[in-house]
Amino acid sequence: MTKKVLQIQDVTKTYRVSAGAFKGKRPLHAVNGVSLEIEEGSVLGLVGESGCGKSTVAKIILGLESATNGHIILDGNPISRVARREMTRRVQPIFQDPYASLNPRKSIGSIISLPLRVHKVGGRADWGKKVNKIMDIVGLPARLKHSYPNQLSGGQRQRVAIARALIMRPEIVICDEPTSALDVSVQSQILNLLIDLRKEFGLTYLIISHNLAVVEHIASRVAVMYLGRIVEESPTSDLFKWPQHPYTRALLASVLTPEPRKGLPETHLGIAYPNPIDPPSGCTFHPRCPKATELCQTTPPNPRSDAGRLVECHYPEQ
Amino acid sequence: MMDALLEVKGLHVDIPLSAGTLHAVRNVSFSVNRGQTLALVGESGCGKSLSVLAVMNLLPKKARWHAEKLLLNDEDLTSTSERNMADIRGSRMAMIFQEPMTSLNPCYTIGNQLMEALLRHQKVSRSDARDRAVFLLEKVGITAAASRLKQYPHQLSGGLRQRVMIAMGLMCGPPLIIADEPTTALDVTIQAQILALLASLQQEFEMGLILITHDLGVVARVAHRVAVMYCGLVVETGDATSLFENPLHPYTQGLLASLPIPGKTMPGEHLGSISGMVPTPIGEQHGCVFRNRCTYAFDDCSAGPVDLREVSNGRTYRCLLSPEVCAQNLAGGQSL
Repeated sequence: MTKKVLQIQDVTKTYRVSAGAFKGKRPLHAVNGVSLEIEEGSVLGLVGESGCGKSTVAKIILGLESATNGHIILDGNPISRVARREMTRRVQPIFQDPYASLNPRKSIGSIISLPLRVHKVGGRADWGKKVNKIMDIVGLPARLKHSYPNQLSGGQRQRVAIARALIMRPEIVICDEPTSALDVSVQSQILNLLIDLRKEFGLTYLIISHNLAVVEHIASRVAVMYLGRIVEESPTSDLFKWPQHPYTRALLASVLTPEPRKGLPETHLGIAYPNPIDPPSGCTFHPRCPKATELCQTTPPNPRSDAGRLVECHYPEQ
Repeated sequence: MMDALLEVKGLHVDIPLSAGTLHAVRNVSFSVNRGQTLALVGESGCGKSLSVLAVMNLLPKKARWHAEKLLLNDEDLTSTSERNMADIRGSRMAMIFQEPMTSLNPCYTIGNQLMEALLRHQKVSRSDARDRAVFLLEKVGITAAASRLKQYPHQLSGGLRQRVMIAMGLMCGPPLIIADEPTTALDVTIQAQILALLASLQQEFEMGLILITHDLGVVARVAHRVAVMYCGLVVETGDATSLFENPLHPYTQGLLASLPIPGKTMPGEHLGSISGMVPTPIGEQHGCVFRNRCTYAFDDCSAGPVDLREVSNGRTYRCLLSPEVCAQNLAGGQSL
């Protein structure tokens, strides 16, 4: 039985947002009772449309936001009891936009070595060596050490972000849209690198993406999120072969692969992603669901789990 | 042979910089017929957007452009006055921009912005313009269209805003629409809907459509004809089916191999990739622009500029290797 390195238990994040002048604040459930488990050395993909709460989950795990309710458990210990320093040594992020996530006034060497300096690992001489080594591993030429982020291409910047994340040899890397800002040919280089690094260092990834093709390629399990809930979670190959939730089916149908004879898919989703301040009653997906009945409008479905798969729908596909 | 709606031949766009001249678009030619979709595809900085901005005469002030031929319905646009261009833009060709939040004016209502172009170009009353706006908003799938006219851009979701942008482009019923990354800012589920909408409107009004995108999946599903651009040059053209099923240029082959495709690529295995980086577009290019990243490059590739070669009608590519060798390379690459 493999070890669960990271467990997210019934996490809720509620923001209080103003609903307009003179109206007082109303709760917005960005994350609404999400539970996930990541096994050591595996890759969990988290997918969903913008606004579904997937990035909020990442922020909560990284400690950039605090959960309103629920627990994050790292290696059996709730993170509220794990020291901040230890936490950051073991869990590191890679963000979406390598243009915004690197300090433009610091040299590449300084950006990559910052975690070493913060954690006071070894001495000054050590830092240089470690930086050279990690730059070599992620495929950055050593001459770039004294360059600044604006002198680098998008792909190189993302490699810097990966080097910075890996220099402390973390166990878990949270990648929030790691390739969305990159060109196609660079995206594949970064994906190949992430795959290699995982094998080499035995890393565990949480990959957050809206690109299902990327997630299919790299993840071993996939969780689909809709309006703050996980509506389906299962091993990647099962999810892509037999999607059980109608939303997952629609998401899969809307992946546009470069196959000219297939034409455009019909997703039957209607127009609007609902406003998360006013979520629909019952099953929150019912206004967009082709299979919705009266039951769906009134009663939220309970999660059903079976053979390693979880689905939250009254009428899942068999 | 149908008369081309828009014909561009030998288009160059240069941007003078302190380090030298940046040749953003080099000798690009393409044409679009009525009812046809042409996709310009390539990675960022390849010159696809600047090409169409030159056609619209909307280039930044610094940029210079010239073309052998630039014909819209047989009217020469290379020498036309700015005043005449202002009459043409919006009424005879319209552009749908990428980011609907930045291209809609936050200070004016949707209705105001929709009606503006029609009132500028045609002698119509305000109430007729309003009717046209409501008609088009309904066409693009917006419910309660009449009440939306009073709303401001920030009150609409991203998908709705993009629909408004499309309706705005259609207001004067232009025969040619240019859409620059129309779905890049949208979620995948909305993307498919917007593309289907564009395609059906195009058929209904028999418009020519130029689609600019970096997303090969979108191109494959929507375009009739495709031009692949690299470093300011068109490196391959063809109808979508033959270009995607038998890509000839090593760059096109490399791009297609680097995409993960569910059910086709092996999960967890290495994807194909194109090593190296795009050469700087500043200064003159000697030899093939792709040779520094090309697996099949040989001595002749650096000898001189490589011309576009025609394989069959409308199917061209810019490589010294013969089509047979290119096809073999593709087959060899896939079995690796």
